[in-house]
Amino acid sequence: MNAPDETIHQPVRLRIMAALTALCASEEGLDFAKLKSLTGATDGNLGAHIDHLARAGYVEVAKAFVARRPRTTVKASPSGRAAFERHVAFLREIIAQR
Amino acid sequence: MTISPNEAGAMLADVDAVVARVKQSRIYAQAGAIVSLWGVVIVAGNVLAMAAPRWAGAGWLAFDALGAAATFVMLRGGPSGKSRFSLRFLAAFALFFGFGLIWSEGLGRFGPRELEAFWPTLFLFGYTLAGLWFGAAFAALGLGLTGLIVAGYFWSGEWFNLWLAVVNGGGFVLCGLWMRRA
Repeated sequence: MNAPDETIHQPVRLRIMAALTALCASEEGLDFAKLKSLTGATDGNLGAHIDHLARAGYVEVAKAFVARRPRTTVKASPSGRAAFERHVAFLREIIAQR
Repeated sequence: MTISPNEAGAMLADVDAVVARVKQSRIYAQAGAIVSLWGVVIVAGNVLAMAAPRWAGAGWLAFDALGAAATFVMLRGGPSGKSRFSLRFLAAFALFFGFGLIWSEGLGRFGPRELEAFWPTLFLFGYTLAGLWFGAAFAALGLGLTGLIVAGYFWSGEWFNLWLAVVNGGGFVLCGLWMRRA
């Protein structure tokens, strides 16, 4: 049986990883504002969870200026994708054992 | 860490909901640019029909061909890179266009005003149908603009082309911009 991933298990981080892994690996990722609307988190809360995922190596964060405005883009790393898949498999196994 | 089956089910439902929203957002982002493009095509076609009615038929053909080609290119270059989808789009466009030709040039006895209402409402019907698969915004665009075109057909008098340029073309542009941000 797969083991739970303590980093991804937190609800906001689970939503962040779900959103990022829904994209193809070749896509550039999602910007901060889109992630905020998808997760329902506040700016500070979302930023803290993205930092947590980045420290675990699950996401890559790119900061740039677009039309003179700062833009933060977040993308799932290959190890983040694998960890998310394992965590979802773990959740499915729990349900299957019911 | 202990997770009950109910908690696991709720988490997976949460994941599914987020994934569905992301996919919807990607469809809207790609379609938004295409919808805006067709808004520009519609404005150009109707402005030409007002300024040079003799050239309206040929102009519409040229604008539509350009719009279809640009749409094909945009679909192929999209993030999903699904070339089969872009070919299906071209096939659907050709089918609608063929159906329209059968009625506008053959079976139907349409006057110029009826033709100007027929073609956009025919393609808006396609958008409405697309809404059943790709998101409510397509259906809202199709039904909303069809209603406005029908209203213009009856009440806009000699300004029908202007009505179509502003309401139909402008509606496409605005809806496309909204979809890109959704």
